[in-house]
Amino acid sequence: MSRRNFLRCALLLPALARAASPTTVSPYPAVVPGHRLIFPRDHGAHPEFRTEWWYVTGALDTPRADIGFQLTFFRSRPGIAENLHSPLAPSQILFAHAALSLPGDRLRHSERSARANLGAGFSTSDCDVHIGAWQLAREGRSSGEIFRLRMHSANFAYELILEPTQPPMLQGDDGYSRKGHVPGLASYYVSWPQLQTTGTLILDGRRHAASGRAWFDHEWSTAILGGAAVGWDWVGINLADGGALMAFRLRDRQGSTVFAHAAWRQADGLVHRFDDRSLSFTPRRFWSSPRSAARYPVELEIRLGAHVLRTLPLLDDQELSTSRPTPLTYWEGLVKLEGSFNGRGYLEMTGYAGHLQL
Amino acid sequence: MNTLAAWLIAAQFARRRTTSLLSLLAIALGVALGYAIHLINDTALADFRQAMRSVQGEPDAIVAPRDTTGSVGLALVEELTRDPAVLVVAPVIEVRVRVDQHALPVRLIGLDVFSAPAVMPALLPEGREAQASRAILDGGVYASPALLAKLALAPGDHLSLWRGNSRWPAVLAGQLPGSRPGDLLLVADIAWVQAHFGPPAGVGEARIRLAPGVDATRWRQALAERLPSDLLIRSDDDDSARVSNLSRAYRVNLNVLALVALLTGAFLVFANQLTAVAQRASQFALLGVLGLSPRRLMLQILGEALAIGLPGALLGLALGHALATAFTQTLGGDLGGGYFSGSAPTIIARPLPALGFLALGCAASLAGAAYPAWLNRQQDLAQALKSGFAEETASSSARHLWLPTVLGVLAYGLAQLPPVGDLPLAGYASIALLLVMGITAAPWLTQRVFAAGAELPLAAHQRIALQNVAQAPLLAQVAASGLIVSFALTISMVTMVSSFRLAVDRWLDEVLPAPLYLRGKATPLPDELLAALRQPDSPFARFEQTMHAALALDVQRPNVALIVREIDRDQPEARLPFTGAVSQPPPTQPVVWISEATQELYRLHSGQRVRLPLLGREIEVFIGGVWRDYVRQFGAIVISRSDYERLGGRFAASDLALWPQAGHSATAAAWLAPLAARFGCEVADAGEIRQLSLSIFDQSFAVTHALEAAAMLIGLFGLAVTLAANVWLRARELATLGALGFDRHMLSQAVILEGVLIALVGLLIGLACGIAIGAVLTYVINPQAFHWRMTLSVPWPSALAGAALTLAAATVASRYAARQATRLPLAQILADAQ
Repeated sequence: MSRRNFLRCALLLPALARAASPTTVSPYPAVVPGHRLIFPRDHGAHPEFRTEWWYVTGALDTPRADIGFQLTFFRSRPGIAENLHSPLAPSQILFAHAALSLPGDRLRHSERSARANLGAGFSTSDCDVHIGAWQLAREGRSSGEIFRLRMHSANFAYELILEPTQPPMLQGDDGYSRKGHVPGLASYYVSWPQLQTTGTLILDGRRHAASGRAWFDHEWSTAILGGAAVGWDWVGINLADGGALMAFRLRDRQGSTVFAHAAWRQADGLVHRFDDRSLSFTPRRFWSSPRSAARYPVELEIRLGAHVLRTLPLLDDQELSTSRPTPLTYWEGLVKLEGSFNGRGYLEMTGYAGHLQL
Repeated sequence: MNTLAAWLIAAQFARRRTTSLLSLLAIALGVALGYAIHLINDTALADFRQAMRSVQGEPDAIVAPRDTTGSVGLALVEELTRDPAVLVVAPVIEVRVRVDQHALPVRLIGLDVFSAPAVMPALLPEGREAQASRAILDGGVYASPALLAKLALAPGDHLSLWRGNSRWPAVLAGQLPGSRPGDLLLVADIAWVQAHFGPPAGVGEARIRLAPGVDATRWRQALAERLPSDLLIRSDDDDSARVSNLSRAYRVNLNVLALVALLTGAFLVFANQLTAVAQRASQFALLGVLGLSPRRLMLQILGEALAIGLPGALLGLALGHALATAFTQTLGGDLGGGYFSGSAPTIIARPLPALGFLALGCAASLAGAAYPAWLNRQQDLAQALKSGFAEETASSSARHLWLPTVLGVLAYGLAQLPPVGDLPLAGYASIALLLVMGITAAPWLTQRVFAAGAELPLAAHQRIALQNVAQAPLLAQVAASGLIVSFALTISMVTMVSSFRLAVDRWLDEVLPAPLYLRGKATPLPDELLAALRQPDSPFARFEQTMHAALALDVQRPNVALIVREIDRDQPEARLPFTGAVSQPPPTQPVVWISEATQELYRLHSGQRVRLPLLGREIEVFIGGVWRDYVRQFGAIVISRSDYERLGGRFAASDLALWPQAGHSATAAAWLAPLAARFGCEVADAGEIRQLSLSIFDQSFAVTHALEAAAMLIGLFGLAVTLAANVWLRARELATLGALGFDRHMLSQAVILEGVLIALVGLLIGLACGIAIGAVLTYVINPQAFHWRMTLSVPWPSALAGAALTLAAATVASRYAARQATRLPLAQILADAQ
């Protein structure tokens, strides 16, 4: 599942719903600046907003070096069946997507979907979201807090514990993250980089002890993607020196940047922010997918002011196709970052494999 | 040597064209009937299972309430989905609803598009997943193409779905491309179905797909142990077993009848081969002297039988296939048994069963030839070469009564045994023994009758003929045995069917106390209808309501019907046909009255306290009595409305029994008709229901009448053939008589007399055995297989008429034999005997 395209689907859902039943009303709250986020409550779900996701990406160094893993839970309020008197009403729908990149191997991935109260659920007081046996939950411990991550599929599974080594990172202005030049396009966005990761990885039925570093994102909004944007390039990198880098840009049909933003937090906690003027993305090497024929700029040059960085994929083919809520093909995978700073994290590129089909 | 064998077989066929052909046909008939029954049932079961799977999918397990009005709680569904061994839980709510004003109740399946693809792909709506999902989640309803055609609906139409008092104005969003051609289905989102038709806090069923590599059996066992008592867990195997159990007893019954046809075929081969052996005794003896070993001779006789059995069985397979096709087209896949309504499947033959029936046909013919072959081997070659076949095996032991007596006692003992795996196998064995008893009793009775006949002041040639048979009753036994078997079976079937019909007829009087009935076809009646019946202008003095539900007491058996009735718990005998005394229930305890089938299947008895999975929990109830039910073979339980409501049940009647006010009986039905039509209900008076019930009864026994006729024909053929053989065997004696001055007319008369007397013996024994077998069918087979009890009533007029008709036919058959006697080359025979 790609977070950005998922947004796109969610945006279209209520439009169709309105056409079918004009009585349905779904007043989604707006994302406004100056709203103070309170934790752990704001780690939990915000079901009144249209979309929300909890996103964990990371790199494992045991059992092997450079294993990429990703688990995402999406919540959608499509604005349908809201007045239906049934505990099963499909007013909140959850999707989950998990992937595992093994260098020298193919990408493995798996997905789940369910409505809340029927195979899925979330908490509104803390981070605790699940679909079936897949789960992402925060736990307060005497020694501090942790996240538990659990997923199973036919040929891979993992159960991991993520332990913060730093405080969370509120993106944008104290968590108010703009996604365009139009004022309404924004989200509440919390990242938690540099999570110490330990646990178990199960590959083809064999259990391995696993350890590495992860990145947690939690974002909720009502409207993000707008205007001419057709796709998105995003990176979230745990830097080797303990710093963290998040950068994204929205592209139009021609491939030029519509909106861009980046935040670099140094290991000492000092945060540098960059906008369109000081941030640029330039493709340096493409990889063409034999399946979708899409050309992905797997090696991207990112300029942050004076700093020049470059992404190097650990596996060229990290292209994914998901079926729900709508068929999507995109690239999402583990990359190394080299240049002014070094690190490892996830690159996501959408909108290269044709238009979204809805 | 092979040339010789082939030549002998060909000669045999050329010489005995008619009898060989008849034997062949009899074998063919037996194989055809058995094979047709197998094919029809196999196909109907497969079709039924497939239909079930297209709607239910093929989950690894299903968790469902034991009480059909119950539900699976959402907490349990949640717990199941969080089990790492579970891949997907697909919850379903299924209800029967009415569409607009259409009278036909339709299955509405509420599913969850997120989980359904993994379990029930055939039920998914048309269109690309994303759009279809959105439309169905937003309350769109999808219909199978067959339903669209039947109700003349098109996507985009607005329709009102209703059930009882609940209504759902919905929009038809599209089709279900995966549904089977005849399926009448509606599919909608589970939440929308629940919001309109319930159940309030749960789902109807949870269908589970387990993760790859999970041991499904162990997982189910573990879950079964911690499942609340009101829920059950089923597997695909349980569903298959249940479907197969539906028609198993009926099927076995029909197969036994087919086996009987095959058995009579074997008798015919026996008669034929015995005759052939007798006729060719000298020929075989010559071959023996020329060096053909006795073993080869025996093989020759068996080979000849196979030459009849193999083409007969092949013909039977073809005939069976044709018969199966014809039957499924006219009667449906259940042979009139009413188990799989509405299915008219295409017959698909598989090689293994076909080979099995082929082998059975061959085995029957070989079995028929075994005794003649053995008899031939016992012949003294020199003697046979000189004088033909000698009957020396008619030893005096055959005339003793000890063997039939022992068999009779054994048969009686077997009839007392309980069923094996719900099938009355000991009862069938008892029937087989009774038949053998009849046959073994034949020599004794033959000897008595013929010896007594010989004492009568008859013409000399007749007395000599009678004396001869009395002295050598073996062939008479052979001739009579076919008739004994076929007549006994016919009489037994006629007796059983007539006893049953009489019992059903009486029973209908008891279960139809009201003059008029209204049926909601398994959907609850709306309050509006009931209110109209209570209005002052209503011509009805009173009415009683009935609600239907079902309980799954055993996952491998079809559900037990739960009938909630407005019945006085202190006086249930006013409404139910009890088989015994009614026990007075304790005042504080709910009371149920169980049908005989429930009593026997679940080993319950009147006066007992038992825990039933009712209304989402286990409730201890008192069994107040056992009543007779000829409808629900898998059991029924009646509970009063007052008890049901006291336990917290929501009473929603689907059927009414109505009593018009005095003087309004004529107009009441006409008054009710438009009201019933408005709500898609059916009105019938007691007389119509009785007629319909009896005609269904008659239809379900239609196949047995055909089998009876076939058996009688085979029996008569057997008689004719063996009498003719008798003539050949006694050629020398007849020739001597001829030489002594008996003319051909007298010889012919002697043979006819013999034939008629043999037939009489056969019919007498057949009648006695038939009544005995009828008693076994009535008192053992029916109660054990179907849990239907009734009293025996022998239809004497039709039995005696049948006997007279058979005797007349036997006379004709004897004339055929007598004609053989007039064709004997007397001089030649006498010359040979010198």
